[in-house]
Amino acid sequence: MSTEPELDADVAEMSFEDRLEALVGTRVLERDDHKNAPGFVIRPDDVQDVLFDLRDEAGFDHLSCVTAQQYDDRYESIYHLKQYDDPTREVSVVVPTSTDNPVSQTAEPVFRSADWAERENFDLVGIDYEGHPDPRRILLPETWQGHPLSQDYNQEKPQVVTLSEHANPLQADHKDTETDTMFLNIGPHHPATHGVLHVKTVLDGETVVDVDPDIGYLHRCEEQMCEQGTYRHQIMPYPDRWDYVSAGLLNEWAYARAVEDLADIEVPEYAQVIRTMGAELCRIAAHMLALGTFALDVFGDFTAVFQYAFRDREVVQDILEDLTGQRLMFNYFRLGGVAWDLPEPREEFFEKTRDFLDDLPHKVSEYEDLIVTNEIFQIRCVDTGILEPEVAKSYGATGPTARGSGIDMDLRRDDPYGYYENLDWDVITEDGMDNYSRVLVRMGEVEESAKIIEQCVDLLEDWPEDDREIQSNVPRTLKPEADTETYRAVEAAKGELGIYLRSDGTDKPGRFKIRSPCFHNLSTLAEMTEGEYIPDLIASLGSLDIVLGEVDR
Amino acid sequence: MIGGSKTPLQDTILLPERIGDLTGLGEFGMAGELIAMFIAAFIVGNLMLAMTGVAGPWAKRKITAAFTDRYAVNRVGPFGLLIIVADSVRLLGKELIIPENADRPAYDLAPIVVAGSAMLGFAVIPMGSGIHLADPEVGLAYVFAVAGIASVGLVMAGYSSANKYSMIGGLRAVAQNVAYEIPLVVTGMSVVIFAGTLQMSEIVAAQAETLITVGGLDIPMWYAFVNPFAFVLFLAANFAEIGRNPFDIPEAPTEIVAGYQTEYSSVYFVLIYLGEFLHIFLGGAIIATIFLGGPAGPGPAELGIVWFLVKIWAVFLLTQWLRSALPRVRIDQLIEIGWKGMLVLAFANLVLTAIIVGLLETDLALSMVIFA
Repeated sequence: MSTEPELDADVAEMSFEDRLEALVGTRVLERDDHKNAPGFVIRPDDVQDVLFDLRDEAGFDHLSCVTAQQYDDRYESIYHLKQYDDPTREVSVVVPTSTDNPVSQTAEPVFRSADWAERENFDLVGIDYEGHPDPRRILLPETWQGHPLSQDYNQEKPQVVTLSEHANPLQADHKDTETDTMFLNIGPHHPATHGVLHVKTVLDGETVVDVDPDIGYLHRCEEQMCEQGTYRHQIMPYPDRWDYVSAGLLNEWAYARAVEDLADIEVPEYAQVIRTMGAELCRIAAHMLALGTFALDVFGDFTAVFQYAFRDREVVQDILEDLTGQRLMFNYFRLGGVAWDLPEPREEFFEKTRDFLDDLPHKVSEYEDLIVTNEIFQIRCVDTGILEPEVAKSYGATGPTARGSGIDMDLRRDDPYGYYENLDWDVITEDGMDNYSRVLVRMGEVEESAKIIEQCVDLLEDWPEDDREIQSNVPRTLKPEADTETYRAVEAAKGELGIYLRSDGTDKPGRFKIRSPCFHNLSTLAEMTEGEYIPDLIASLGSLDIVLGEVDR
Repeated sequence: MIGGSKTPLQDTILLPERIGDLTGLGEFGMAGELIAMFIAAFIVGNLMLAMTGVAGPWAKRKITAAFTDRYAVNRVGPFGLLIIVADSVRLLGKELIIPENADRPAYDLAPIVVAGSAMLGFAVIPMGSGIHLADPEVGLAYVFAVAGIASVGLVMAGYSSANKYSMIGGLRAVAQNVAYEIPLVVTGMSVVIFAGTLQMSEIVAAQAETLITVGGLDIPMWYAFVNPFAFVLFLAANFAEIGRNPFDIPEAPTEIVAGYQTEYSSVYFVLIYLGEFLHIFLGGAIIATIFLGGPAGPGPAELGIVWFLVKIWAVFLLTQWLRSALPRVRIDQLIEIGWKGMLVLAFANLVLTAIIVGLLETDLALSMVIFA
């Protein structure tokens, strides 16, 4: 990571930080600064007050993540706030609560994204959020005993969750004699849910009246598994398994960036270029898949577009396989660099990549003929699944979903990491706010990624042979200083993929929290689809491009 | 003169009579004729079933694969032809699961109605080479009527499955078929105005005349050439009628799982699937008969069946092409297209055709008077 701009930012932030402290004023109990942002500790009943002030007075309109954790003497909720206009402006609001009575005020009236985030914290850590409109579990079944990430949780105790004990999705009492609506379970096994998602839908004829996504079917305790692995080697394979549809390197970068920030690890420039190239290849592969499956949802069958998208994605996969040795679970990034240099012979690799880049414009125009300019596609997608920018911000939507609503935010540009700031590329935004815009954004991003890759290939080709340092010197056993905290995010294929890390002085993280872009993007589904038709619900779900592995973690 | 004169392209003797003559069954009075009819129906039925049930699914895979840039079945037998055998064993070997709350007689009957209604339609189609089962005077009306029975089957399937997706699929099927059957029939009417008859053999015969001669090449008076507008309209309405892209809304796999057929398995599923294929081919047969000159084509009249099959397969190919390339419209958009667009166009076409035919006939009558 190049450090110079970071320092500059810190200097500029000083006055801003002071102003922030003045704004929160006497409500600040103490400071608990994180590596990425100033942290203010406040009382559990001041949450809404402080967050309203920070949102309305200081412009923190993005509740990026809500972390919850248990210490020996207290529970703690951390609200990681950012600004959509400038994501480097960050502030953490730390809300401790007692172990006996972990009750904290909900932030849901301030940020809609707190709704799901706090439900998850209740579910996994066990903090009660007072005033929360919907205090149910979200990832685990309603009948689950205990909160898995709390300290007194008994892992040995078997959990019996029978169908009859659990809310039965087949029960007949969904019949409402007063109205003419129909309750319909879309999923967990349905052709269009892109994984195991269960959308509880209420229909009035063909019109969607109410949507309630039920997630957690693919919950694999990723956070806890990461907390049990060592920083240096044991955690890196996990990120590949969050957004598992070929976005692996992007996810790995999120973890790498967080730890490199936590432990002040330098990354050689050469490795940053390789990382950038690999990540953008992954982005193309992920967007191709998004495009193909969205076409599948709208076209209604495994049609030409889907197959073409997969055919082209295959080329990217081959390149990634050459680079990393793997097709899906890359495990290629290392703290302080990458696992190995480009494959030999290098010329062959460059040629293959260039061939792909040369073919791409032709392929993109093919998609334009088949999808974008198709009139039936347009009547299906234009003005359906409307997501207003204000709503999107409130729900914490990021990535192509946000950019399709005209929110001009891309962490690659706004919070630079890797080699992005030295390269020439553009952030794609569309103002349509509909399913069509989100498709256009993804298609545009494929072309921008190609631009980035091309520049990286140029750089790598001319890189002097004696300066090809792929990893910096990182201690075999990494033990960051105790109680260092950081929250770092990268622009993954689906949006802002953030990781909160707290070190406890050992070689394993004290708390490892994943901010999943899909999780927050999915929470906008109800806003997008209520009042529209079933086919629009399916199309909107497809246009969000969720991967349940990342939603449920 | 339009619709009047007859150029007997094919034998006017129907298949049952011919079989009666050949086998001598005709000598045995009513009973013999009846047996001859059964034999004829058996032959035609099996021909169609072989085409739709055996060749159809195989060709569908090959065609779709070609469109989507990949390989299709090519392992079992030459060109993967024996995949149908493997499929039959697989599908028939599956457990027949009937939902607990299924409305039994209706649930069991629906697949038979769907498949049977399409089979009935082939009875009046003149397929050339003397393969023509029956030739009632109301042939065209009969075909539309029996093809329409399929909607009843779809509703039965959707309602009786006790599944919400099936229910939505069934309702969609009705809404769609009502919206498209009227434009379909009205467009068919314009052909009837040209031909002056509902009898299938007469409609075919009327198209045998030469429309125009271009460079020594006779362009026959197929109604697709005479009235291309009606042809396109009919094609589009036909896709909705048989529920294929971009109008495959009653099934809509990504939206409502599989629509009315969600709960069907094993033999019942095969029957419904077969019924759908039969409907595609029946749609092709109707189009071939009333717009593409039926079995007409170059070469001796004995080749009629070949030309007829070629035309049916051309329509089938078109359905697969659309399936691979076009998105599905939404149900409300479909209804809108049907009622606000197609219906209006269909009636406009009908009125125009009536006027043109009326003018032509007056002209002809006038010229005849003058020359006389």
